[in-house]
Amino acid sequence: MNPAVAVERPHGPIPPRSGIGLRAEHYRELVERRPPLAFIEVHSENYFGAGGAPLYFLEQARAQYPLSLHGVGLSLGSSDPLNLEHLRKLKTLIQRFEPALVSDHLSWSSVGGEFFNDLLPLLYTEESLAHFSARVTQVQDYLGRELLIENPSSYLQYTESAIPEWEFFGEIARISGCGLLLDVNNIYVSSQNHGFDAYRYLQTLPAAAIREIHLAGYTVNRYPEGEMLIDSHNALVSEPVWDLYAHSVRQIGPRPTLIEWDTDLPPLEVLVGQAELANTILAREAADAA
Amino acid sequence: MLRDLQADFAAALFNERPEMAARVRAGRFPAAQHLQVYRNNVVEGLTGALRAVYPVVEKLVGDGFFRYAAHAYLGAHRPRSGNLHDFGDAFAGFLACFAPAAGLTYLPDVARLEWAWHQAFHAADAPAFDIARLGAVPAERHETLRFVLHPSACLLASEFPIVHIFEINQEGYGGDTSVDLAEGGVRALVIRRGLTVYVEPLAVGEAGLLTALAAQQPLGAAVQAVLAAQPDFDLTGTLTDHLRRGTLVDCLAE
Repeated sequence: MNPAVAVERPHGPIPPRSGIGLRAEHYRELVERRPPLAFIEVHSENYFGAGGAPLYFLEQARAQYPLSLHGVGLSLGSSDPLNLEHLRKLKTLIQRFEPALVSDHLSWSSVGGEFFNDLLPLLYTEESLAHFSARVTQVQDYLGRELLIENPSSYLQYTESAIPEWEFFGEIARISGCGLLLDVNNIYVSSQNHGFDAYRYLQTLPAAAIREIHLAGYTVNRYPEGEMLIDSHNALVSEPVWDLYAHSVRQIGPRPTLIEWDTDLPPLEVLVGQAELANTILAREAADAA
Repeated sequence: MLRDLQADFAAALFNERPEMAARVRAGRFPAAQHLQVYRNNVVEGLTGALRAVYPVVEKLVGDGFFRYAAHAYLGAHRPRSGNLHDFGDAFAGFLACFAPAAGLTYLPDVARLEWAWHQAFHAADAPAFDIARLGAVPAERHETLRFVLHPSACLLASEFPIVHIFEINQEGYGGDTSVDLAEGGVRALVIRRGLTVYVEPLAVGEAGLLTALAAQQPLGAAVQAVLAAQPDFDLTGTLTDHLRRGTLVDCLAE
């Protein structure tokens, strides 16, 4: 396989405009149509294979767009040692594709050598903060670059947690020097599930550390006690999340913004349309700030 | 504290564990209901990953049975890596011992075929073989030649018509979907050519040759064994075909 690679891949920081998550269903259409996007983002682990279509199409897409590598498998908050094989594959991918951003989550997904393929909630204590920060430092040292950490959506809180998530999240950046990936939909989902003020979440975050914003759609599970929001990445961005996004941009300034859509994928143009909406908000907030 | 909390949580993902519920704040919902969201996400997520690798198995047994089998599989074979592509490697072996599926004798071999397909999809690329290189090897050394198969190539044999079963259960297949198990076994090559994975039935001699070459036997010994089983075997035609189509990607002369 000898993919046609452009002589000059786009390099440098991603401008503060919008991009989309790229999934296999949209490979061909994206590289043929080349919609105007500031960047594309992929799940790093989907490209851990040795060859074939995923890497071929990522080469094609990378020739046209800046790239963000978004991980779901580092299991940074786990009490297990970091998985070296996983890190090695990530480093190889970074060397090959030269992403502008590399991220993973404020969560854990494995213990005792077993992996659960889900972003499980962290305990928010001083012990956990020291552990998580040290792991981020380890990974940044190994990769030789900045890692972004994303706030997850959550569906439970531990009785033993002692620090609000927004403080814990900001502290990770202050202690380890990592960047933050602010998922506005996750803030909204968690705020509804746990009954905190989503706008309060943004107030104390270190704005300068925030490198990227995520937007996505959620679904609603209905129970006798009320509704639980699930971060399902299979729907349009909701109105309250667009509002919270506009507020976030006012609060921290414009940032590269990603439309995430991972299951029940719509046509590519729907994603591009959502990205255009984000651009409209970015432009409006920039004009208001000027 | 972190470690025992995570161990309790992990155990609660697969079984009811009252000690974990006690560590979860009862918020807008009872603690057990908060935990249940993660249990669903994890079990559904991993079942979905298995479904993505084994769509034909799922089609053959139906959604309900597949879920039941996937849950049982998770009891013994949880993922050992954060890379989901590795998950499901033991599913064929599991199905062979899964009593509720004992009546579906062909099912484990169908699963083996689908795992080979999944492996081939992600396997390394390899440049095509330059046939002119063979011309440079003196004829008397041809029998010492050893060949390298494409990194995605996997040879399978089954006493059931698994290639036929695989084909008629592909999405978009419009032909006759009946299959007679008595039509017998098959030898097959699963391989990625370019970006596309193919499942190709092999003639007896062809399968024998490729299997011997895959085991790194020199051409001379491989051919002797094949001719013993099939005296009219067309060696030149078969070898040229697999060199041209990229089944064989390299060779070494002694």
